Amino acid sequence: MTSTERQKAEVKGQVSMQTQPMFHRVLRAQPSSVRDTLVDVRRRFSQEVNDDTLGRLELVLAEVMNNVAEHAGADVDGQTASAMPHIHLCIVRHETGLACAITDNGISVPDECLLPRALPRNDVTDLPEGGFGWYLIQDLTQALCYYREHQRNFLAFSVPFGDV
Amino acid sequence: MLDVADHGSEVRVTVTGTRIDAAIAISFKDKLREIVLSNRKPVVLDMRSVDFMDSSGLGAVIAVRKAMPAGLPLTLEGLTPNVERVFRLTRMDSVFEIRRATSEGQETI
Repeated sequence: MTSTERQKAEVKGQVSMQTQPMFHRVLRAQPSSVRDTLVDVRRRFSQEVNDDTLGRLELVLAEVMNNVAEHAGADVDGQTASAMPHIHLCIVRHETGLACAITDNGISVPDECLLPRALPRNDVTDLPEGGFGWYLIQDLTQALCYYREHQRNFLAFSVPFGDV
Repeated sequence: MLDVADHGSEVRVTVTGTRIDAAIAISFKDKLREIVLSNRKPVVLDMRSVDFMDSSGLGAVIAVRKAMPAGLPLTLEGLTPNVERVFRLTRMDSVFEIRRATSEGQETI
């Protein structure tokens, strides 16, 4: 057995040829890079998953990465974000959905974003123009988890194949 | 980004881009607001070319609805599945008048 075969070998010593489509990208946290990345993600998985799942994946990723870009360079609670954080994005297809991991070196995510969230108040005389992002992220994902370590945010979640 | 056609009783604005996202949300909002304010007529926004919209795009459309001169409607037309999803999940489908693509869209109900 070569070293590569050994790495691929399962417990019984057989070589596993099963691979899952994945996507990995490091990008600057700015809207144009986010857009380019989303277009490439769509292209990467277009043969693998249906349009509905792809649409939900693209929306969630847009909301997460736009948040990082939006708060780049912001000064929140005494923390100053680096002028242009970098985002690391990794997506792997699993049996039940698309597992996503996103890390960045921007400011930390406020607790209230991760707590169960309602839509902004729908006041017809003064409609909200924002505040939908984290609601959409929570609504469209499963197993959403977040932690911060060494000045980096780590966010992981799954976008299921079936309708949520 | 936007094509404007005056149909007499209403103004028809066609979004020519395929994305209303964070990269263009502000310029989209400013251009569309200028159109609705200068025409002062009911506006139909044809979105059939738009295959992706995020919450910043939604915010832009909401801002334009709020900028409509008093009493004049902003009707959305030809929402693709990805765009319709954002309106539905945020319950904004109950606020906007939304109709299927018609006449110029070669699609009938």
